[in-house]
Amino acid sequence: MTHTLHRRGSADSLSRDIIFLIMPSKDINHVGSHVPLKRFFQIALEEGAIKIGDCRSGNEYHQGTLDNVINNVQDRAVIHAVFDNKEKAITMMRRLKEANLGLSVVVSGLLDMVDGCCKTAGLQRHTVEHSLGVWGRVDKLPPEPILQINTMCGHGMVTVALINDVIDRIKTGGLSVERGAEELFKPCMCGIFNPKRAAELLQKIVDDERAAAKQGKQVTAKPREEFVSAW
Amino acid sequence: MLIDKDLCHGCLACIPYCPVGAITYDEVENVSVINLDQCAECSACLRANVCPNDAIRQQELKWPRTVRSILSDVLTVCVESGISGRGTEEMKTNDVTGRFKRGYAGMAVEVGRPVVGARFYDVEKVAMAVAALGGIEFEKQNPTTSLMADPKTGKFKDDILNEFVLSAIIEFPVRLERVPEVLEALRKVSSQIDSVFSLDISTRVAPDNSLPTEKVVRDAGYWISPNGKTNLGLGRPLKEDN
Repeated sequence: MTHTLHRRGSADSLSRDIIFLIMPSKDINHVGSHVPLKRFFQIALEEGAIKIGDCRSGNEYHQGTLDNVINNVQDRAVIHAVFDNKEKAITMMRRLKEANLGLSVVVSGLLDMVDGCCKTAGLQRHTVEHSLGVWGRVDKLPPEPILQINTMCGHGMVTVALINDVIDRIKTGGLSVERGAEELFKPCMCGIFNPKRAAELLQKIVDDERAAAKQGKQVTAKPREEFVSAW
Repeated sequence: MLIDKDLCHGCLACIPYCPVGAITYDEVENVSVINLDQCAECSACLRANVCPNDAIRQQELKWPRTVRSILSDVLTVCVESGISGRGTEEMKTNDVTGRFKRGYAGMAVEVGRPVVGARFYDVEKVAMAVAALGGIEFEKQNPTTSLMADPKTGKFKDDILNEFVLSAIIEFPVRLERVPEVLEALRKVSSQIDSVFSLDISTRVAPDNSLPTEKVVRDAGYWISPNGKTNLGLGRPLKEDN
């Protein structure tokens, strides 16, 4: 379940996209784990998480309220918090170190930046996972700007059709980029989709399309080569 | 998933929520229709809760169609892993399990991701290409492994080969020195499938804080991402290296 991996985009954009995950391990420390899991949610919200979510029970829209997300956490849940800058990430790491919750914590983001955050927070990283890109029929993929939004839900629930629908509604004045980004968050059951980053990406797509239209051109960006290993 | 055509008014609200474009509009009958061959049973359309007439219905799923739900519906809890989703604990709990030891890499090939989805014909091609290298043991707790007829060869059960899923993860540890041959096998098979796969590699961080997989992958001539996942080592009891 590499659902927070394979995110794509510029280093600048990815620097505002940091996801914390915490989970127990089966038969090692899962019994009673709902207690430290709930504590994680509380700490994350205190430290400015922009979203939280639960792979087992769903996000705040699916469960009705943010309180339900916190209160319904079960043993063996895999839960998350999304942050939008590294200062918050450092503080979150410090709080988690102090809280000593005893469960495994994984942070997704730019690896050098996360390593720097670990050092500042007094942590030594244990295991690291990289993406090696997308292989095979990459001609079937949507344009890169759409893919950068789509891949923020690793389970593929934020569909290309929905992203295009939201873009159309923004262009016709039916939605703000912020509201559009929130609409895209809703299908992401784990709550790992970053709506702040999505709003930035949506704004750029709309601006690029408007600029291209003025010049009588069409935006046809295909997946970027450095993120796609294809033969 | 099904749409009750007696209740559907053809408002089209559900169509954008399907990740694989399995919902289309029937102009003659003025209803939306789900192509069951293409539907991955992910429940995204039902869960979107956008149908004004509650026309979307989950039918009873029977084998082998249940495979679609296990590997596509985010909230389905897998028996093998005990967690929701398509994969395992993999590197996420490596601090307490020691699953990936020093000198090894954990690799995962997620066939169908992103966007495209996959049939097991293609998942099998990838698994068999990896298994043919010899000495590869697929992760037993992974639901995809449990669907193999023979995990030694990567052959899947015949009755699931046409099943369509959002993605299936082929997961295995391998010694670091064998990573280049695995990548070469994946490079070859990537041109033989009608889908895509997202590939990843995990490593225990070295005592000097370097990442052994970075050098191995780059030396073999492949791209490696600047972003990824970092296990902070906060799990307890910590699994000591040996």
